[in-house]
Amino acid sequence: MAGLVTPVLTAGIGERNLCDIEVYREEGGYEQLRRAVLEMKPKDVSDICTASNLRGRGGAGFPTARKWSFLPNNGSPRYMVCNCDEAEPGTFKDHMLLEQTPHQIIEGILLGAYAIGCDHAFIYIRGEFKRGYEIMRDALEQARAAGFVGENMFGSGKNIAFTIHRGAGAYICGEETGLLNSLEGRRGEPRLKPPFPAVKGLYGEPTVVNNVETLAYIPHIMRNGAAWFAKVGPERSPGFKIVSISGHVVKPGNYEVAMGTTIRQLIWDCAGGLRPGRSFRGVQPGGGSSACLFEEHLDVPYDFDSVTKAGSMLGSGAMVVFDDTTDFVKAAYALIRFFSHESCGQCTPCREGGHWIQRTLERLLSGGGLDSDIDVIKSAAHQLTGLNLCALGDSIEPFLASVITRYEDQFRAYVPKAAVTS
Amino acid sequence: MSIGIDSDASSGVHPGPDPGQDVATWSPYVERGGEPFDALYAQLRPQCKSLIAEYEQKRSALIPLAQLFQQHEGYVSANAIAAIASLVGETAATVEATISFYSLLYRRPVGKYMVQICRNLPCMLNGADELMAHARRKLGIDHLETTPDGIFSYEEVECLAACDRAPCGQVNLEFVYDLTPQTFDALIGALEDGSSPIAPLAQTRRPGRTWKVEQDTGRKSPGALGVSNPNNAGGIGDPSGRAMFDLIVGRPEYEQRSDERLLRETTLRVEPSENGH
Repeated sequence: MAGLVTPVLTAGIGERNLCDIEVYREEGGYEQLRRAVLEMKPKDVSDICTASNLRGRGGAGFPTARKWSFLPNNGSPRYMVCNCDEAEPGTFKDHMLLEQTPHQIIEGILLGAYAIGCDHAFIYIRGEFKRGYEIMRDALEQARAAGFVGENMFGSGKNIAFTIHRGAGAYICGEETGLLNSLEGRRGEPRLKPPFPAVKGLYGEPTVVNNVETLAYIPHIMRNGAAWFAKVGPERSPGFKIVSISGHVVKPGNYEVAMGTTIRQLIWDCAGGLRPGRSFRGVQPGGGSSACLFEEHLDVPYDFDSVTKAGSMLGSGAMVVFDDTTDFVKAAYALIRFFSHESCGQCTPCREGGHWIQRTLERLLSGGGLDSDIDVIKSAAHQLTGLNLCALGDSIEPFLASVITRYEDQFRAYVPKAAVTS
Repeated sequence: MSIGIDSDASSGVHPGPDPGQDVATWSPYVERGGEPFDALYAQLRPQCKSLIAEYEQKRSALIPLAQLFQQHEGYVSANAIAAIASLVGETAATVEATISFYSLLYRRPVGKYMVQICRNLPCMLNGADELMAHARRKLGIDHLETTPDGIFSYEEVECLAACDRAPCGQVNLEFVYDLTPQTFDALIGALEDGSSPIAPLAQTRRPGRTWKVEQDTGRKSPGALGVSNPNNAGGIGDPSGRAMFDLIVGRPEYEQRSDERLLRETTLRVEPSENGH
């Protein structure tokens, strides 16, 4: 295990109080921001990120610097928004980073903001993270007092304002356009794209929305050089990744590893494997929205492209592990209920589809199901994808479809014998 | 449909006419303003101004303002909605429509301790179902309900991002980890006798049975089963959603029946779902 876990963002967590700006500075904290603001042009910072091939850690895996490059050069104000609305089932990395290393996040956000040439950065923190919000607020006060944030940063005459915005309980606000609507004081309903936020985002101006983990890697990439990051793991999806492992494992937790570590290594070597006497039944590799993978996928390298090739997605980097005690009907129901509950209701396939599948599963679980329900669920699930404004509707199907195909017997077992037709 | 709550003029919701009251004499006018709120508003005004100053556009402060008023009143009252509307330059309807989107903004009073348990997959794999059944028994209330003494509100929520210490929950947004029925009982005991460090929420009005208003209890459409109000949803010619469902699941006997009969049967057969979801 010692060889697999490579603490970068997680270095020092649990050992030192990294919420204290002095402790963070002793380890070189804010030095990269100082160097960028005083010695570098914004383009130099984004060039380093381009060379590092850093891809977004929030779910989609889009190359970060490329996202920045879409901003039009029309002189209008720009905004950097850090997405800390972590709510994907199974994901708990941003929660830890927020509470343990707030200064790292602030430095990352400001470096990103500097790279894109914006003068107002936001962090949107999930409403449930009350403690994390308070910690971030304190950290920001310390950084302001030190002259690293706000007006005349490091005495350079440059200004980047920083606003902490707290959400109020809605998974959909993690979707970037939903987040922007929420930040504008509206219902967190996703917008029609295009235009993408890079063209028309917050207040109709060009905006970049990046995940906490993505931005937090930037100070490290600046310090160690783009090549340091780019040479770790697969060429097209390099670097490190915090993997949140939960479910039926002995040691659930956040493990920061090199991209390309296999799923088997993550489950057995990092998270301590399954409980004694249990056997493996499946793993959800990328949060509640991802399809389940099975025994034959255990040696898949954990990086964006390999997991996609295996038929699922890396998503936010949350692995939920299932052993032989798992009732996959209940597991699917828990996730479908979640998506149904969190649907904003704008798009019919998502609003109705999720809800109908939920009720059908509810009926199945309560013993009133029909044999034909299984086929209904299968066909209905496939009619949701690609028909919605955002990815929430597309997220309803993958897990359900993968487990109903693999463990159809578990679903059939819930149908009362009298209801089996033909 | 009555949801068994006292009419509450400052709950943020028009209470509507009382049962049996002549609709012709009922007025939707809700009293605004009043001594206690005026004092609170005067006290919070500087904070409101600095919240608004954080943003390029005033409306961005809408949710932070609602959180501020909720922190002091325990919920977002009609007075607060009116105040926020004037502060951000929107109508009260816009403010209410916005805050109703968010599950952590309460439009009716809640208990002093908002107890939330995660019901999502990683917690479920680690025994959340048993824990939630225990919590309901222990508190004597259901999902989305408040105890009659107004101390505890209980909600089963979605992933709280603490899956490594499942099952987890929150009390007044403070995390509680690795819950078991025993530690849950100890937690409730500590809240009751005041030995817990978790501070109670502000409470300026007595809460009703639930803090949810009818339209946001999570049921966006009747879906396949269990519609409590046939006028509430469905599609054209299928107000209950039942007819389409039964066609889809392939029960040809339903195809022969008239819509009226189907609706009557559906209405008769329907039982409200146990927990409002």
